[in-house]
Amino acid sequence: MRNALSDALVSLGKKDPRILLLTGDHGYALFDDFRRECTEQYINAGIAEQNMVGLAAGLARSGFRPIVYGLSAFIPIRVLEQVKLDVAHDQLPVIFIGDGAGFVYSHLGTSHQSTEDIACSRAVPNLSVYSPADRFELTQCLMTAYQEKSPVYLRIGKADRGDVHQLPIDIKPGKLIKVRTTRKSKYSFIATGSMVVTAIDVADKLNIDIDIWSVPFIKPIDHLTVEEICHNSEAIVVFEEHSKYGGLGSLISEISSSSYPIKILQIAVNDCFSQKCGTYEYLLQEHGLDFSTVYTKVCSFLQDL
Amino acid sequence: MKFDPRKIRKTVLDMAYAGSTVHIGCAFSIVELLSVLYRNYLRYPENDPLNKGRDYFLLSKGHGVMAQYACMLELGWLCDDDISNYFSDGSNLKGLSDSRIPGIEVTSGSLGHGFSVGVGLAMGVKLHKTGQKTYVLVGDGEINEGPIWEGALFAAHHNLDNFMVIVDENGFQAMGSTQDIIALGSIQSKFESFGFEAITIDGHDEIAINKAVSDLWRSNKQKPKALIARTVKGKGVDFMEHDNSWHYTRLNQKSYQRAILSIDSGNL
Repeated sequence: MRNALSDALVSLGKKDPRILLLTGDHGYALFDDFRRECTEQYINAGIAEQNMVGLAAGLARSGFRPIVYGLSAFIPIRVLEQVKLDVAHDQLPVIFIGDGAGFVYSHLGTSHQSTEDIACSRAVPNLSVYSPADRFELTQCLMTAYQEKSPVYLRIGKADRGDVHQLPIDIKPGKLIKVRTTRKSKYSFIATGSMVVTAIDVADKLNIDIDIWSVPFIKPIDHLTVEEICHNSEAIVVFEEHSKYGGLGSLISEISSSSYPIKILQIAVNDCFSQKCGTYEYLLQEHGLDFSTVYTKVCSFLQDL
Repeated sequence: MKFDPRKIRKTVLDMAYAGSTVHIGCAFSIVELLSVLYRNYLRYPENDPLNKGRDYFLLSKGHGVMAQYACMLELGWLCDDDISNYFSDGSNLKGLSDSRIPGIEVTSGSLGHGFSVGVGLAMGVKLHKTGQKTYVLVGDGEINEGPIWEGALFAAHHNLDNFMVIVDENGFQAMGSTQDIIALGSIQSKFESFGFEAITIDGHDEIAINKAVSDLWRSNKQKPKALIARTVKGKGVDFMEHDNSWHYTRLNQKSYQRAILSIDSGNL
């Protein structure tokens, strides 16, 4: 996924000289190619994220297309007010990339972990929110964000969970992607980012007919498709590496409750910070998002229906 | 004379009285600064506040926006109804600056935002090589905000000599004097140590303001500029001067009339 991000940034930078890549002193090796290929379009704004976002707003106002990169704990969380007032209020075409979302920085602790970013950014008017699951979705999301005339928050979580898709995808903004469809499924799994792979793994082990959808575009989302999924399912499980408050699970529940109310299980982060240090897999376990805990929760949910 | 400070202050009073609003004192301290800038420096080709070749003026201390509205009325960007209907339901002009009004570049009120946006605009101008100037007016209380100093480091590092910050040093912030709340020391030294070229002047002396802005732009040092303007909160109305309660006090008929009288009889 990180190679795909680097490639997409270089391709955009070479195509459009208005692209400026701003980083808050993050992304060490990630930008080697961009710095070599688009030297004049790279700005390290220093460890000063609030200024970086205001700066991006000024640059966008003068006709540039800034891409602001940081860890998602900082972009958009630390700078949410700058995103809201300086950029989103005036619909400036700034792309915010929040890297390392969820528990990627498992060993570093709460300052670098980010499980509230979707909720916060979803609530900012004019701001789109994308959350790709693999390199193909990432490329599609970045290209879509570039086409947009308004700001986008692009959330990048655990980057090495493997491909969900076999080929590059080409879908309209807002559309959900059908990862798996079955003829007689009563249940649907809807997932985003790193948890799409988990949803697939759980469905494989259950070995029953389940439709699986990936959601790279969280806002705006194609409401009609979500309503159809709710209409055609007896129950839905939503998977995300994000707080259960305000993320994808909340979004699907909001749409379902006003169209076709059905039972929804949220596989998400409970309302708590991480307690211990450990590997990514360890942290998933602490938060009940590891495969075995998720599988047990889903089994129990489906049995109780 | 265009942008006559007395006329601007009277328009501010008209608005504040019509809308029964606050923030009169912090509008009055920046009147002469705005007069000189709009009269002598800010270029708006075809008098168009959205013209792409314009200079940028960002009122980062959005609380003083009534003084800017008064200037925009003189420019013909606002009309008398905007003044008399201030704060009426469905009206456009808000109590803090809002970028959706042509002529106002940033949405402020939450402080410390305009500085960085101005730095971005100044950098954009440099990259485009189009030559406009960027002015950001901040309050002395506002420079408590961290992003001001993040932006100052960045502006100096990138030699943005087309960027000028103007500090309205009126010595007060919402709840009291800057000295008592967060003492600022020498603002000029602070900006100089951040790599700016800085001058301190009497912010109500139009000749001094004019000369300082001119001197700063004429300097061949490739540094961003800081103009520290020593001002009086509530300037122009005798019973408002140095009285911080006019940050939040509203006018009634009596105080409105007394204020107008004070401006008419003043020595400004």
